[in-house]
Amino acid sequence: MSVQTIPVDAGSRARTAAAPNKRRDEGRAGWGLATPFLIFYVLFLIGPTIYGIIMSFFNSSLQHAGLGGFAGPDNYTQALTSSDFWQSMWHTVLFTLMTTPPLVAVSLMLAIFTDRLARGRWFFRLVFFAPYVVPSAAMALIWTWLYTPQIGLWDKWLTAVGISSPPNWLADPSWAMASVALATVWWTLGFNFVLYLAGLQEIPRELYEAAAVDGGSRWQQLRRITIPLLNRTTALVLVLQIIASLKIFDQIFLMTAGGPNYATRPLLEYVYDIGFTDFRTGYAAAASMLYFLVILAVSLVWFVASRRQQKGA
Amino acid sequence: MVMGTDGPGFSRRSLLRGAGLVGLGGLLSGCGSALAAGVAGTAPPGNTLSYWNLLGGGDGLRMQAMEQAYQKQHPKIALSSVVLAWGNPYYTKVSLATLGQRPPDVAISHLTRASILAQAGLLEPLNKSELAPYGLTGGNFTPAAWDMAHTNGTLYAIPLDTHPLVMYYNTDICKKAGLLGKDGRLKNLDDPAALTDALTAAKKVTGAYGGVISINSDTATQWRFFSSLYYQLGGSVLADDGRKIVLDEAKAEKVLSFIQNLVKQGLIPTSVDYPGAITTFATGKAGFYFEGDWEITTFQTTKTPFSMTAFPNVFGGRYAVQADSHSFVLPKDPRRTDAMRQKIFVFIRSLLGQSGTWAQGGHIPAWLPFQKSAAYDKLNPASNYKQVANYVRYDERAWYSGSGSDFENIMGFAIGAVSAGQMAPAAAIADMKSRLAQYANTPSPV
Amino acid sequence: MSTIAVPRRRAQAKAESRTTDWRARYFNWFCVSVLLVFAAIWVIPLLWALDTSLKPDAVIAAQPTSWWSSTWTFHAYQELFNIGNIQTWYLNSFVIALLSAVFAVVACSMVGFAIARTQFKGRRIIYGLIAAGLLIPSQVLIVPQFQEFNYVHLLNTYWVQVLPAVAVPIAVIIFVAFFTGIPASLGEAAHVDGASWWRIYRSIYMPLSKPAISAVFIFTFVWKWNDFLWPLLTLTNTRIMTLPVGLSQVGSAFGIMYAELMASAVLGALPLVVVFLLFQRQIVEGIATTGIK
Repeated sequence: MSVQTIPVDAGSRARTAAAPNKRRDEGRAGWGLATPFLIFYVLFLIGPTIYGIIMSFFNSSLQHAGLGGFAGPDNYTQALTSSDFWQSMWHTVLFTLMTTPPLVAVSLMLAIFTDRLARGRWFFRLVFFAPYVVPSAAMALIWTWLYTPQIGLWDKWLTAVGISSPPNWLADPSWAMASVALATVWWTLGFNFVLYLAGLQEIPRELYEAAAVDGGSRWQQLRRITIPLLNRTTALVLVLQIIASLKIFDQIFLMTAGGPNYATRPLLEYVYDIGFTDFRTGYAAAASMLYFLVILAVSLVWFVASRRQQKGA
Repeated sequence: MVMGTDGPGFSRRSLLRGAGLVGLGGLLSGCGSALAAGVAGTAPPGNTLSYWNLLGGGDGLRMQAMEQAYQKQHPKIALSSVVLAWGNPYYTKVSLATLGQRPPDVAISHLTRASILAQAGLLEPLNKSELAPYGLTGGNFTPAAWDMAHTNGTLYAIPLDTHPLVMYYNTDICKKAGLLGKDGRLKNLDDPAALTDALTAAKKVTGAYGGVISINSDTATQWRFFSSLYYQLGGSVLADDGRKIVLDEAKAEKVLSFIQNLVKQGLIPTSVDYPGAITTFATGKAGFYFEGDWEITTFQTTKTPFSMTAFPNVFGGRYAVQADSHSFVLPKDPRRTDAMRQKIFVFIRSLLGQSGTWAQGGHIPAWLPFQKSAAYDKLNPASNYKQVANYVRYDERAWYSGSGSDFENIMGFAIGAVSAGQMAPAAAIADMKSRLAQYANTPSPV
Repeated sequence: MSTIAVPRRRAQAKAESRTTDWRARYFNWFCVSVLLVFAAIWVIPLLWALDTSLKPDAVIAAQPTSWWSSTWTFHAYQELFNIGNIQTWYLNSFVIALLSAVFAVVACSMVGFAIARTQFKGRRIIYGLIAAGLLIPSQVLIVPQFQEFNYVHLLNTYWVQVLPAVAVPIAVIIFVAFFTGIPASLGEAAHVDGASWWRIYRSIYMPLSKPAISAVFIFTFVWKWNDFLWPLLTLTNTRIMTLPVGLSQVGSAFGIMYAELMASAVLGALPLVVVFLLFQRQIVEGIATTGIK
């Protein structure tokens, strides 16, 4: 996701005087090399996007070929006035609000601490990153077992420290989302941790040395050098994390199935239910498009902000 | 964007490539058929029978026993049974698999959902002359269930059972409360006042509650309780395949006020979830429990002194009680041969023949040869309410109704709010109507 | 024991006051203890899964939260392998992830080369279109893509997984950036010597692009290996499922047989954890330089 504008024609100025027939040959070669990708791109990304937009204005059904009757903006008005739609949108946002701050702050803290170590960094990198490569289904199995009431490990520990009636983690509507969020922090923290470690490596050591000579305390070093110099990394981590959290589906589908009583159903599961249980693909496409707008807004905010940051620097 | 320099990644990547090829080679030789299935979508070998169901808990164990009995009789067939979590996700899976042209050979479906699947063109119609040789004829099934197995006049499902809402009662508590007759049977409670009085009497004995109905996160139970009473008043909710909402406000208000009254008098708890309701009844904190018939084995296990009876005809109209049925369906599969169909019918007939095992779970078997047998009569309390099988009301047909559907969720949510004392009946009715209207106004996707 | 990573500071340490030195040391102790506590929290779930998977079901039923068991057994694993699905799921996941990764590397590097190193007309528009594709999350497309594959009857095959994973915008961006970093003169010299553009791409640029290739390969592979929503929708036959989709079903099949459940979780987690152990550096560098999620 970290796109920076790349000068597309870096090597072109040297060849401005190229002969026209050579040019044509080069043009053919370029298109030839681009074609395989473009075929796939049109068939499986651009095409479905356009088809999805069109479908969202029709009463399309999973069961019938073709688009079905024209619905105009009906699907959109229905989504925007549906409490289920807004509820699932809220769950998506709530999950993002619950996971983003700890996933950014804790990974930053752990990365800063790890970066100070002369030896043993690989160990912490391994430990924090390993969960990230575990498939969501395996992660959900493990955490569902940890959360099992009475016989789960967490409940045992909590009762051991005197909390006699721990919440029914995944089955209590007021705890279910927090429980999934906690498991997610464990699962995906390693990714941000690694990004931060890389960001920290790029800070010149001399800066710390200079600060040490000036007699600045550790805390001042952190506040005046480390954190400001990590701003770009933080911006990147933040936007990647927000977008990843907004895409929440796997963990909730696997651990609570959107329950109890829809108390955790995220937007993607709403689309899944509408499209593939109720067969209403037109309406599901409209809900997807509204969701797409949210993701787009986040990406654009980041894009504009990072542009401004680059100009300012 | 800075890429790492060209370093030791080279040799390690070659290693990976080599290892990958070796691994692939090994796997290829071992799993050729699986690979072929993935690349070309070939069918599994012909001697298998795949069966999907949504039966968990005790039902799941009994179904497994029945499958094993079938397997013993037909050792040459490799039966592969897949158990999926019940509710919307199950029906989603069945639909997706059918659209993806790899459906199971036979699947369990609720009759209310089979009707939707059939309308969506996902089920194979069943030919009556084809079924006759196996005894799978209308005369052998509960008429109400057999009727419901038809959609637009065509048979799409073979019913296994009927599972109505029933009334569980604690025999010790009811005896102390003076609710049992000389024959040890529960007195007739076919009247709003009679039921309220009985709950009050039970409450005096337990010191906690008279009865219990699951509320929290449980729209289905709330709907079962409300709709049974509402149907007894002669009410209907949906008409014209769900395109019209015909909720009778006066009748709905009458039922909701009755429920509200139970809450106000403290006869039923206002905040209790499904497991909590079971515990409340099992530990003798309530004398009555209203739920589907399937919790029978739970209370047998907890050794609760209990019995079961038909849900009372509280409002005294034509008797009605909410129910649904498990049934067997054949998801549409263009490659299914006649030989395969025959194999499936043998399987279904074998399971129906084991209705005695199935009935232990509380469901009223749809298979009449067993339902009418003395063996079933001896199955107490599971056969105490068998007479209701022909008076049950299934959810009215609509693309958004049926067990575990949006319809039940919308209704149950509003009813639950009344039961929890959070909403007045009139407000709940308005909520039902406005939310249902959204679905009624949407053209049916099936 | 770990020490701070500023060795040159040592020389200056004497010049500094004692108090700073003490504070620094305490701070280091503090860092290490915090890290160790977090590391313990991070390791426990995986260890607990492994621990549970090696206990007999009877022991788990009797003492579900005890780490120790009087007997250890591979019974749960044997059970899983006897059922036989997990081998098939491994194979399916492996083939799908491998095919996706290979196709993505080939298609994306080709177009990346064309954009970075040939002057074909319309390349700016193409590049803009591809960059715009970054903004479209694949999750938004599940409905139309499902209809598309339903229409051509490719559901429940490998192709429904592989085909949409070939054209990955981020991979193109990576290749364009990498090829732009290789001096253009290399290719031009070869071109003057009469080499075709295909040969320049194949024999000059690709061999120099190992880091980009491995980044794209590893991430497409991991992405497809762990992908869940799309395979959940499109692979409904047990024999064609990928590992994550298959694992999502064992929950209902095994119910409360925790050893079997945890054994399947361990088997599900194992392959990529091992791959990560072997290729830690490449993977970490790949993330750091590309930020693919």
